Amino acid sequence: MRNAIRNPVLRAVFYAILVLWGVSVLYPLLWTLLDALKDNRQFFFHLPWALPDAPLLWSNFSYVWNKYNFDTYFFNSLIVTGGSTLLGLLLSASTAYVLARYKFKGSGALYLLYIASMMVPFILALIPLFFLMNSFHLINTEIGLIFVYASSVLAFGIFVLVGFFRSLPKELEEASIIDGASYYGTFFRVMLPLSQPGLVTVGIVNVLNIWNEYIVGTILLNDPKHYTLPVEIGVMQAEMQYRTEWGPLFAALLFTIIPVLIVYIAFQRKIASGITAGAIK
Amino acid sequence: MKARSSNWQRGVFIGTFIVPTFVFFCIFTIYPVVRALYYSLFDWSGMSENKTFIGLGNFRDMFRDPIVWRAIGNDYFLVAGKIAGIMLVATFFAVALTRFRFRLAGFFRSIFFIPNVISVVVIGVLWNFIYNPQIGFLNAFLSLFAKEKVTIAWLGFASHTIWMLLPPAVWAGIGFYMILMIAAIQNVPESFYEAAELEGAGQWHQFSRITVPLIWEQMKVSIVNIMMTTLNGSFVIVWIMTEGGPDNSTQVMGSYLYQMAFRQYHFGFAAALGVLILLLSLATTVALQRLLRREVVELG
Repeated sequence: MRNAIRNPVLRAVFYAILVLWGVSVLYPLLWTLLDALKDNRQFFFHLPWALPDAPLLWSNFSYVWNKYNFDTYFFNSLIVTGGSTLLGLLLSASTAYVLARYKFKGSGALYLLYIASMMVPFILALIPLFFLMNSFHLINTEIGLIFVYASSVLAFGIFVLVGFFRSLPKELEEASIIDGASYYGTFFRVMLPLSQPGLVTVGIVNVLNIWNEYIVGTILLNDPKHYTLPVEIGVMQAEMQYRTEWGPLFAALLFTIIPVLIVYIAFQRKIASGITAGAIK
Repeated sequence: MKARSSNWQRGVFIGTFIVPTFVFFCIFTIYPVVRALYYSLFDWSGMSENKTFIGLGNFRDMFRDPIVWRAIGNDYFLVAGKIAGIMLVATFFAVALTRFRFRLAGFFRSIFFIPNVISVVVIGVLWNFIYNPQIGFLNAFLSLFAKEKVTIAWLGFASHTIWMLLPPAVWAGIGFYMILMIAAIQNVPESFYEAAELEGAGQWHQFSRITVPLIWEQMKVSIVNIMMTTLNGSFVIVWIMTEGGPDNSTQVMGSYLYQMAFRQYHFGFAAALGVLILLLSLATTVALQRLLRREVVELG
């Protein structure tokens, strides 16, 4: 095939830009790993890009996991992310299905309300949310965080899934109703399995966003027992001003990054289609 | 008889699928937003006994507070910088990875998205380390070319420190918008480009005559989206990297809201700041839509 860019110099320059950007994206990951294997002395007396000295300090990882209680934070993050993703999917898929297939009084307005809520800055809700959760006694609880996160992903889920349900053929549902299945049976046995690709797409995008969420976690959690990973990273980096443990800090970053990287590698295409579907308004 | 019972069943079905979600949404989204509008009219330190109604007093105080003005300026600085930086680079990558027939295009596309799956907190910590005066990357790199060890406090300037927050924000945003742009370009019928190539049009002509006009809608959505996410969310990276300092010089509206509410307990004032963010992001959306619509008419 003929080259699209005929000028060889221009072609080389463009390619070099791509390679440079690739390095700028991959190198921080590598450097996080390398720095997680250093002790403080190496941070202060060696160049930042120097390789870690032997013996490599793999103990930084177990140190963070045990002494900094990352086992607890990791588990909390898993529970919160899993719980709010599932709850968010259940609530948005049910409403999205009805909005896509059934007309009733106010259905158009309801859909618009959900879509319009995406325009409202979340930070506006932050202060009342804190007092609301406080009066529900849901500060420092996983379930409180799950409720807030699940609610924050509803609009996106409904928006993408309404589009998805509309794209499915109506004949299958009609056949199922004629066969005598109830509305519920039709939804759970026919539509839900068919909509699996859409559900996975929405679910994965939500998993990434919720796993990484920082500010709501910081406000709704103040007891270290209940911290999620990003909240603890924030605390840890603030503490670095008087207690310098750079190696463990980088090990802690990796505990936060690696799960999302695995999810990204496994579901790359889903993620791309999810953000594309969510952004076309 | 039969029709009535099936109508009833239909109604129950719709109700069970709509109502729980809506109730949930009302409690955790609608109520807090409405409540924030209400709080913004009070002088309130968080204790219920000392909440006094002051009408628009918070808004009056806000416009007399020089930090608020600086925060608005910083917000729009980040909006402008991110729109320019992200749109230029993301569009270039999208075109390069779809139209230029480079080897490894799929690989580049995959890795360029990686910053977008990493938490903002992690990105803030990594860039703090780049800027660190003693052990940071940037100073160590500059020291290679200097006689003495460079120890610039990149995040400590009395002014212009906000510039230092632009590179992490742009770096972290490119992948997402590149994916959107790639999807838009792939929707352009291949025959358009084939026809252009038969007529001998080069890449630049194909880009300016075919690609840009046909993906303009997507570019518009992206620009508005960058503006909104910046006004609504840029405070997280600010909070992690500078906490609005030094001396409030990198404060944005969101970080100032956070500080006023959860550090200084001026909840009414902070709620008013939230309302300001809402109003500005709505007004800027309308303004951008106007601005960008005119251009598409010119192109047509």
